[in-house]
Amino acid sequence: MPTLAEKDIKTWLLENVKPDEFLEKDFKKSGILFEAVVPSGKIRETAAEFLAQGYFLESLTAVDFAECFEVVYHFNRWESPPKRCCVKILVPKEENKAPSISSIYKSANWFEREVYDLFGIHFTDHPNLKRILLPESSAIFPLLKSFKGEPAGSDVEQSLKLIEEDKEGFEIRYPQTITEHQKEYYLNLGPQHPSTHGVLRILLHLSGERVLDAEPIIGYAHRHHEKMMEIQTYQACWPNMGRLDYVGAMSYNFAYALLVEKAMGIQPSRRVEFIRVITTELNRITSHLLWLGTFLMDLGAFTPFFYCFDDRERILDILEMVTGERLTYDYFRFGGLDKDVPADFVPAVKAFIPHFKKRLRDYDLLITKNIIFQKRTKGVGVLSRENALAYGVTGPCLRASGVPFDLRRDEPYSIYPELDFDVAAAKDGDVFSRHLVRMQEMRESLKIVSQIIDKIPPGEITLGKLPKNVPKGETYTAVEGARGLFGMCLLSDGSLNPYRLKLRTPSFSNLNAMIDMVHGCFVSDVVSVLGSLDVVLPEIDR
Amino acid sequence: MEINPKELELMGKTQSPPPGLVNFFKVEDVFNLARAHSLWPLTFGLACCAIELMAGGAARFDMDRFGFGVVRPSPRQADLMIVAGTISRKMAPCIKTLYDQMPSPKYVIALGGCATAGGPFKYPGQYGILEGIDKIIPVNVYVPGCPPRPEALLAGILELQKQIIEGKAQGRTSPAVVHDSQDNRPAEHKNAISRAEFRKTT
Ligand code: SF4
Repeated sequence: MPTLAEKDIKTWLLENVKPDEFLEKDFKKSGILFEAVVPSGKIRETAAEFLAQGYFLESLTAVDFAECFEVVYHFNRWESPPKRCCVKILVPKEENKAPSISSIYKSANWFEREVYDLFGIHFTDHPNLKRILLPESSAIFPLLKSFKGEPAGSDVEQSLKLIEEDKEGFEIRYPQTITEHQKEYYLNLGPQHPSTHGVLRILLHLSGERVLDAEPIIGYAHRHHEKMMEIQTYQACWPNMGRLDYVGAMSYNFAYALLVEKAMGIQPSRRVEFIRVITTELNRITSHLLWLGTFLMDLGAFTPFFYCFDDRERILDILEMVTGERLTYDYFRFGGLDKDVPADFVPAVKAFIPHFKKRLRDYDLLITKNIIFQKRTKGVGVLSRENALAYGVTGPCLRASGVPFDLRRDEPYSIYPELDFDVAAAKDGDVFSRHLVRMQEMRESLKIVSQIIDKIPPGEITLGKLPKNVPKGETYTAVEGARGLFGMCLLSDGSLNPYRLKLRTPSFSNLNAMIDMVHGCFVSDVVSVLGSLDVVLPEIDR
Repeated sequence: MEINPKELELMGKTQSPPPGLVNFFKVEDVFNLARAHSLWPLTFGLACCAIELMAGGAARFDMDRFGFGVVRPSPRQADLMIVAGTISRKMAPCIKTLYDQMPSPKYVIALGGCATAGGPFKYPGQYGILEGIDKIIPVNVYVPGCPPRPEALLAGILELQKQIIEGKAQGRTSPAVVHDSQDNRPAEHKNAISRAEFRKTT
């Protein structure tokens, strides 16, 4: 079946759309099956066909070239072997207009706003084309190559200006519509709110306690990672990887290492692969533990927070022993690691495994079987398969909706194909299922660690001196982070720094899907839905 | 009212207080002692450093030992703002609003490189962040690190306590534009390359 579908979309494209350019690609080297440049008038038709064939929109971005913009769409399917393909349209600079596909893919709504925000490309027929990451009154399109940076001191100037605007625009920013019965109103949640996990703002349209509509407003943690990476050398980008999703930073290290290794055509030693997988899985457990603690705290249970942080500290001790950092790891290197693991590493991990097994049982008894917890979470915030597809949801949130799609198994990288682990899945798609999936994932991660902790082979930790630049070309890599599919799309011009590096972060799409999950919920359920999505804001805003 | 310098020294003060009808030195000192030992921080995280702030509140580091564990979600009930993380320009107005909403006397700790001076996200010509929270609100204590360990945060709060007890916790803002000659990271903005050329060679 899978091969048939792939053929279908390819032949369909060649027959019906007649791409201007069509390139078959080597999946191993570039991360995509084929690349088609279609006429921009046909992109809506193309997207509709992709959706009909069960593809989700993995990422949508743009590249600024001297003569035109390239708008790049990556489509993918929930199956193995992976079916990622790349469709592009060219947008001439004078016109600066592209057709919007937001009526076909719901996830395109935010993606297109992001492209508009960073590149200034207008999407015709977009329902709500405004800035998403930068403040609304910004006048810059930062990812244009003609943008050469802001003058020194503009940060203070602009902040002061924004403070003024903020005062003036209070009524606009916090609209109060009072209807006849005064039942419908707007409630502003965030950006400073204890349960928005950082700096998310949600504008809720309510009728009494019921949510009619929710509009997440993001961008409060925008840290210009993508622009920064275009300026820094490849090596200097490592710290960025530790700070994108700081809760599960190892997976991001992994993705960046794989990306550049793929582009350079190098392969690390087996020892490196083993250590990478062990540290990443331990980090995945810390990430889920942090989620569990804070999620339960959002629901009003304070005790699990202390339990989870206690276990988390134990893992952090182990990772600190290896990397020297507690949180924002930049441990991986191209073709290797920063340093070898110390002698105490293996015994420390082995001591941790039985302890954590017992603790997982405790968590199940304390939380999963807790009737109050179940009442708060069962049947709340349901994400259907259709919506998961339309929004491009990935990670535990997708698996809780009955789709066992996990890149560690379905697009295997490193030594994952050799390992024995199950892909956790649940079928109801509600908050409780997402909890179950994450609990199961912690167990599976522990299983992976205990399988290979004794088998780390000897070998070299680095490959020695490597060239500082990456060969010209386009490469796509994706890994399964703690929150879902993290993709990186690199366009290298052969120089010392990336020409364009798109970061496809999972929480961006997952949070977008929240809009449809909270319809008809109570306000207190919004908190539980948001908590169950496990979003990390700086990763969304980048 | 002039005070004999000897007496001032005894009270740990170096300056005469502002002239007023009556000055209650001792009472003020007692107040400060109380303030220092019942700091109520505002729950407030911006980025990575906030996770270490949470770890500071959890079982191992236990901020509560020192009397600052009463973390308040509302600025109106808090008197200590721990700015933990990167301040994006979009967020800066909100932080200012939060600060203005806190009742006086209030104190600010800048936690981590970002809140202190922009941290790793600072480069010449950056467009997204505010390089240090002290550009818009006064700061009492800076805690360096990326992220600082929870112990460093504790040390920072203990330092703040000391300042408060000594009556020196006024905080300071930095001059608006600091010309930083130290920052020599290359900021080579690329020019656009031609697509046709790029496609030809790959
Ligand atoms: S100082 Fe470092 S750890 Fe803290 S918010 Fe900034 S980047 Fe994150």
